[in-house]
Formats: sequence, C-alpha cells, structure tokens
Amino acid sequence: MTVTTSAGGAGTDPVRPDDEAVLEVTDLSVDFTSEDGPLRAVRGVSYTLRRGEALGIVGESGSGKSVASMAVMGLLPKNARVSGSAKVLGREVLGLPDSEISKVRGERIAMIFQDPLTSLNPVYTVGYQIAEAVLAHRRVGRARAHERALELLRLVGIPHPEQRVKQYPHELSGGMRQRVVIAIAMANDPDVIVADEPTTALDVTVQAQVLEALNAARRETGAALVLITHDLGVVAGHVDRVAVMYGGRVVESGPVQEVFHSPRMPYTLGLLGSLPRLDGDRATRLTPIRGTPPALNAMPAGCAFAPRCPMARDRCRDEEPALSATDAPGHTAACHYSGELDGVGPADLFGDGTAAAGRERTRATGAPVLTVNDLVKNFPIRSKGLLRRKVGEVQAVSGISLELRERETLALVGESGCGKSTTARMLLRLIERSSGEIVYRGQPLHDLSPRRMRPLRHELQIVFQDPFASLDPRMTVADLVGEPLRIHGERAGRARERAGDLLDLVGLDPAHGSRYPHEFSGGQRQRIGIARALALQPKVLVLDEPVSALDVSVQAGVINLLEDLQEELGLSYLFVSHDLSVVRHIADRVAVMYLGRIVETGPTERLFREPTHPYTQALVSAIPLPDPVRERERERILVTGDVPSPADPPSGCRFRTRCPKFAHGLSEGERTRCVEEPPELLDRGSGHRDACHYSEAVELL
Amino acid sequence: MLVYTVRRLLGAVPVLVLASILTFVLIDVSGDPLADLRLQQPPPDPSVIQLQEERLYLDRSMAERYWLWVTGIGGNGDIGLLQGEFGPSTQSTTYDIGANIAERLGVTLRLVGAAMVLAFGLAVLTGVVSAMRQYSKVDYTLTFIGFLALAMPTFWFAGIMQSAGVGFNELVGTQVFATIGDGTYQAQGQDLWGRITNAFAYMTLPTIVLMLTTFASWSRYQRTSMLEVLNSDYVRLARAKGLPERVVIRRHALRTALIPLTTVTAVGMAAIIDGTVLTERVFQWRGLGEFFIAAVDSNDSYALMAWLMLSGTTVIVANLIADLLYGVLDPRIRYE
Repeated sequence: MTVTTSAGGAGTDPVRPDDEAVLEVTDLSVDFTSEDGPLRAVRGVSYTLRRGEALGIVGESGSGKSVASMAVMGLLPKNARVSGSAKVLGREVLGLPDSEISKVRGERIAMIFQDPLTSLNPVYTVGYQIAEAVLAHRRVGRARAHERALELLRLVGIPHPEQRVKQYPHELSGGMRQRVVIAIAMANDPDVIVADEPTTALDVTVQAQVLEALNAARRETGAALVLITHDLGVVAGHVDRVAVMYGGRVVESGPVQEVFHSPRMPYTLGLLGSLPRLDGDRATRLTPIRGTPPALNAMPAGCAFAPRCPMARDRCRDEEPALSATDAPGHTAACHYSGELDGVGPADLFGDGTAAAGRERTRATGAPVLTVNDLVKNFPIRSKGLLRRKVGEVQAVSGISLELRERETLALVGESGCGKSTTARMLLRLIERSSGEIVYRGQPLHDLSPRRMRPLRHELQIVFQDPFASLDPRMTVADLVGEPLRIHGERAGRARERAGDLLDLVGLDPAHGSRYPHEFSGGQRQRIGIARALALQPKVLVLDEPVSALDVSVQAGVINLLEDLQEELGLSYLFVSHDLSVVRHIADRVAVMYLGRIVETGPTERLFREPTHPYTQALVSAIPLPDPVRERERERILVTGDVPSPADPPSGCRFRTRCPKFAHGLSEGERTRCVEEPPELLDRGSGHRDACHYSEAVELL
Repeated sequence: MLVYTVRRLLGAVPVLVLASILTFVLIDVSGDPLADLRLQQPPPDPSVIQLQEERLYLDRSMAERYWLWVTGIGGNGDIGLLQGEFGPSTQSTTYDIGANIAERLGVTLRLVGAAMVLAFGLAVLTGVVSAMRQYSKVDYTLTFIGFLALAMPTFWFAGIMQSAGVGFNELVGTQVFATIGDGTYQAQGQDLWGRITNAFAYMTLPTIVLMLTTFASWSRYQRTSMLEVLNSDYVRLARAKGLPERVVIRRHALRTALIPLTTVTAVGMAAIIDGTVLTERVFQWRGLGEFFIAAVDSNDSYALMAWLMLSGTTVIVANLIADLLYGVLDPRIRYE
C-alpha cells in the first residue's frame, strides 16, 4: 500500500516527443458489408503520430474511433473493406499478409483493449500469456521470457508478482488484469501503444491506478500513445494532441489545451457543454446536443453533424467541410463556419435560453418521505455439494440508515460492489432485506405482505440502468408505458391515452407509441423507461444508474429531463450512481458507500468542497477533470489495491486496507483503533457526517 | 480433486439405489416372465409352472424379490447384484446373464469406441474449418453434409451401407467388406495381420454408420463454440501480440473451444452405447443391442434389469468423467 500525493504527477508527459513520425495514417476508410447495405464506419481519417507523442482520439459510440485503430492493426473481421494507407516507421502495413503483419503487431504497435475481464485467455496463467508475447518476437529461452514476465508485472505495479505470475486471469481483479494487458503491450518495447478505452470498464480509483501503469509503460518503452476514449477528462490529463471523431471522420484536431479551451467545431463545443463537471458551477444547466449521431448506412450528404447543429446553414447540408487549419497553429477543424466560434460558449450555441439564467435551487427541506434504519442484506454462500450447506455470508449491505425528503435528490455513490444497487432494490422490496426498517411516510414497508405492498407500489417506482434490457422488445412503447396502469386496474383505452401524455412529458412524440423499443436510440429508450416509471404518478423515484449507459451528448438531455420532472411533479429521487460528476450536478445530498457501509454523507456542495473521509477524498481526486490545465495541476490522493471481498471484510474500519491516511498519516497507536473499532457515522456539523476516527476536511477542488 | 471425486462417487450411491428401485419396479410390473409357458397348449403340468416360479423367485412378494435381487440373501446363489449375480434367466437354465452381458459389452464397446474416436476427430476438424471459413462454400458444404447425416434414419442408412458394401464386393470380385456379423468367430486362430484385416472387413461399415450421426451433431457443436472463441477478445489480443495465425488458432482458439465438446462427448457416451441397437441389428452384431432384443423377446426380466442397470451406471459414470474433465481442462472450475 503506497500513496502518491504529487502535484501534476499523473498529467505530465513521461516521454518527450520528437519529430520522427512513428505512425502515419492517410485517408483511411473502412466499410462493412451488412444486410442493410454498406456501413461507412471510417471515412478518410488522417493523422500523424510522432515518436513519444500522446494522441487522444475522442468520440461517442459509433464514431469510428475504435474501428480506425483496429484497421491499422489488421484486426478487423473479414467483412471489413479497408482503404487508404497506414505507415508504421515509414512502412506500409495495410494489406500485409499475416506472416508480415504479425511481425509488426506487438513488436512495433501494441494494443490494449477495453474489457480486461475478457482480454485474457482463461486457460493459461498470466505469466504464460506475458511470456508468450515476449517469445513471439524475441529469440530467448522460456526461463528468460518468464523472468521478463515477472519484471513486467513489477513495472505495471502489481503487488507480489512472484505469486501473481502463476495465477489464472480469473484469480485477478479487473484492474490487475488490465495491468497484465498493459504488461503484454510493453513486452517488446513497441513504438506505439494503442489503448482502446483502457479504463472504461473500471472503477474510478482503479482507473487512476491503471492510467498510472500506462504512464509507467510509456516511460519504460518510450512508446507513442494513441488513447481512444469517450472520456474527455481522461484525455485532458494524458495526451498532447487530441482528435475528435464524429460520423467516421476527424472533425477537429489540435493541441489538447487549444481544443478544450477554444473549440472550433460546434460538436466539440457541444460535447464540452453536455458534460457535468466536478469543477463547474452546479447551478448551470447542462446544454445537451439535440438529436442522435447519424446512422452509418445513411450518412447525410453534407456535414455529418449538420442535422444536430444549431449553426447549420444550407451550405452545411450540401457540402461536407474539409478538415482545414484555423487561426491557431496546429489546430484544424472541419466546419465551414469555424471562425464564428471564437469566444462562443456551449450555452450560447446549444442553450435554450433558460440555461444562462441558471437553475433556482430553492430546496426547502421537506418532510422525510422514505426513511431507512440499520438496513442489512446478507447473501448466503453455499457449499457446492449436494446439501448446499451455508458456509458463509456476503455482507452486501451492513447496517445503513438514510433519509429521503420531499422534493429532494439523495445520491448514493460508490464503486461497483459497494452495495448501492442492492440498497436501492431493497427499498422497493425487489430484494428482501435481512434486517432493518424501511418506513414510507410513517408506514413500515419492510413487513408488508406482497398484497398489502401492491397499492404502495404506486408511490415508489424505479428506472433501471440498461435501457436496452429493461424494455420488453416485443411490446410497443405505448403498451410498455401503459402497462403499470393496466396492472393497477386501469382500462386499456385509458392506459393508452395516458401513455401518450407520458411520452409527451418525457420529450418523445406521442405518435411513436405504436413503435417497438428497437426503433429508438439509447437516450430515447431511457426516456421511455422514465415515462413508464412515472405512469402511476409516484412520489419517489429510485434511479439506478440511469445515465451510465448513455453517450455524453445524450446523457445531458436525460439529466435535464430528470431535473425538470422533479421541479414539475414534486418528486423525490434516490439517485444511485458511480459517476461523481453527475451526482454533484443533480443531487442535493450525497451518501458515499464503501463495502456495504455509508462512510460519509452530507449536502452536496459541502461534501465535494471539503470531503472529510479519506475514501471520499480519494474518489473525488480520482475523477479526471475535462480541463487540461487544471487536470495536470491537481493534487491527487491515490489509493492502491482493490476493494476487499465483502465475504470477508476487514475488521474495524473497512477502508483501512486501502486508506492512505492509515498507511502514512497515523501513528501505531492510532492505527490500532482503526483495526479494532468500527467507526461510527458522526455529525461534523450542518448535516455533514462521516465514519472516520481521524476525519479531517481536505479541499480538493 | 480427489476429495471431490470421492464425494461424487458417494453421491452416486443414492442415485444408483433409486435407479435400481425404478428399474426393478418398472420391469417387474410390466409383464409376467412365464406368460408364454402359462399360455402353452396343451397346458403344461402345474408342477412345471411351480418349478419355474421357484427358479425365477416368482413365488415371493415384489419387495422380497427386490431385496433378493440386490443382496442375493436367501437365494440359490444365482442372484444378488452385490455378489455380482444378475439372476436366473428365462432363456435357459444355463444362461448366465452376467457373463453374457460382459461379452456383449465388449463387442459393443469395440464398435462404439472406434466410432466415437473417429466422430470426435472428424467433428473437431470440420467444426474448426467451418468456423474459420464461416459462410464460405466449404462451410455451406459441411453444413449440408452435417444436416443430411442428422436427417438420415440409422436403420435406413445402415441398410444402404450394407447394400453398398455388397455391391463393392461384387465389383472387385472379392469380399472386402463383411456385411453380416461381428467377426469374433472369424478372428479366432488368426495371426496379427489376419486379425487386422478381419477387423477392417467387419468394422468399417457399421463404424461409418454409427459415426456419421454422432459426428454431425458434434461438428455443429464444435463450429458454434469455435466461432464464439474466434470472436473473443482474448483471441484478438493473441493476434495483437503478434502471434502467427496458426498459433493463435491452435493455442488460443482451439484449446478453449474444445472444452465444451469434450464434456458433451463424455455425457453422450451412454446414449451412444444404447443407441447402437439399430446398427447392431442391421449388421447382426452380437452386441448389447442384440442382448436387449433377445431379453425383450423372451420376457427375460432379470436380463432386462441387468441391461438397464448397466445403462444407468454408464450415465452416472459418464457424467462424473465429464465433470472431472471439465475441472482438468478449465482452470476456472476448481472442485473443493
């Protein structure tokens, strides 16, 4: 367990770029043949990567950012048609036969994929898989390759590499597996490392560790980096130049500060405006980009962004703008009117007038509607044998208390496995609690029979995370939205009528009620889910990661909708999320969970300004800011290691095994208290409570 | 692993007991072994019938008979599963069910073993080729052959193969393929080369018949699992490491894609042994299938029970083998 508290440590470039081009992509295009006609995934992408340089490629899903890099690696499926040129150290790699391209892969360009859980072969040890990469390009003995594997594991910061090297992938956590993949990538000192969403599948505190490992890999190998991501914060802190992709093309590129501070393409501006920021003004309304990205088989004739662009004129719809230089050196943009964007902010272009005014935050603390006392959920662990004896317990939620008030948004945040979703579901009795009390407006819910519970379900509704899985694909949208009404005894005709109103309420066309879910985009589906939850006119809405599965530009629209609905209908939200930026934007109060316990809770503004629990401090400090200057100057509190198993939580304070304060800021005697005595959640003034024996406010923003 | 194996074996005991009860009761209530004798015209002497009833223990209650069948306590020494005796036969007083079934099992296993090894090899080969050339002409051809083999009734296909064998023999003017019998008798007293040619002559045709239907379904299975693995992230990472394509296929794709087929094969073993009845009948092999048919024909309850118990035991053992194999092949599965 070590802590790095460094100013600008993560942001600074480990490698100094020079002028030699290591990767030169020119006019790269990729088409896929499909039953719906050709899909134009990448259309004429060009970029040059110099030795040691870090290039960020940013875009939403379907923008072609991953496909373009896979094309360079020759890893696309057979139905892909690739044209253009990609030169690695001056040598053309597109169209090389397998025997030639396999000498380039791993040796000159290495790649890191998104999902660490599936990237490693489950039947070989991690040591074998790293050694294999070494042996593919180096004439060394097995023993030497194994030694090198050990060395690489050490370099990417895996503790006890001698033991880990013999383990199989399933015995390692996601963060560790991603570091193994990074070790494989750096095995042969490549000239370029392509990282495709390397941290998207990971929790924020682990993301920080993996990005640190990636930096270590670059320091060690001197490799140039292509960092593909949708996360503007990650890009801001880790690259020199950034290229923004939209509809299969690069629409803007330039030095990262330039692009973030004075974007010259309306899409980039829109992206920045739709992002809730940890360092932004909470009262400012987000400015979403209207509409959805273009379908790959039906690209608009002119600029691909024109249908969503408030600036679009006739010329934009007819003529596709070329990527051309702007007034700043090295900064290019594909917009006919990029000159007009000088000094324009997202709200000026995408706002609807209300944005500038800001939100009125008039939160009279209402009466509590939903109260939870000492809620516990244990899942039994059963033996594998015939008898399936109970051999242990996973303590998913161990004694939490919450209070949700009228017209208030309470956010429950934490990393995966902390018990936040379990808690949310227990509140609605979708999962039965092990013990504790749930009280809704003075009425205890926890021991109601299912029959007595049913009328109360009117009042408490839920919106799920995955807008694709939570809608029955065989029901029309009107049926889906009207179903709760029919279940609660409404006539079919009346339910259908109400469904129309509800669709209108969430910003969808009521005429589309006869369509099926697959005809809608992710954001629209989530709106359908919200309309369904609102059908019974509930008082409390449990939102379980409602925007996590959505692209940034779409997410902002859903967040705004939720805010409007709360205002209009007087709802109370329990907002479950792992995304602190979103939480900071939408919530009035926040409760931070770690391993089944609440470690800190308080009013949003105060909790983010001066968090007192070391875990909250680490969380806040791990969120990347979409601002290249501030992101690189920030002070960071890094935690190491992974969340311990909830089947066997540490004694005393559950966070102590990862706590930077425990490791470095306490005396031996003070530590004993952390080990022996579980800290109580104590009030630190004005509703701010934390569960730390040695809590201390730290200003991080 | 050892602990797990022992526990699984112990766990198999109650299953076997249940299987024995079911087997016994189902067969015992389904018919009277002496029905033919009783209906004989002119009617046999009651003392003859009584003698037969005593010999076959039909003078006792069903519960007593079950106990006797399992333990052999209080019998004439020719009954009791736990003593390795399967009971008296209706077919003749000298017919030893145990010795017979063991001999027949040997014959059947010879056929099934060869067919399964061939089917497995061919299924892996065609499955992998099909998956790697998905939607190509090769894939479509193999898919067509696979479905054709699945669709053909065994007895019909066996008949066709038999006629084809006869036709071929006539064409070349010498007997290359034997189309009747299992060749056990013919092999006696031959030297090694003689035995090999003899085995080839007798085994080729029925092995092909038995292999084809099994191969077809396994091949589809292998194609699916190979396709899944070929599209997996770890195969992509193996390519990204710079491994040559054939190493990627052999080491990363095939190795993992074989796991499901291996267990399917183990589990399917029992079904295949039982399923040889038709093939054996057509080629007149004196295997388990023929044993089963003879037992049914002569109302031989103890022989039928023996056959059923053998099937049940094979299923249990095959499942155990499948589970253990899975543990060996897939490190994610660890038995405590």
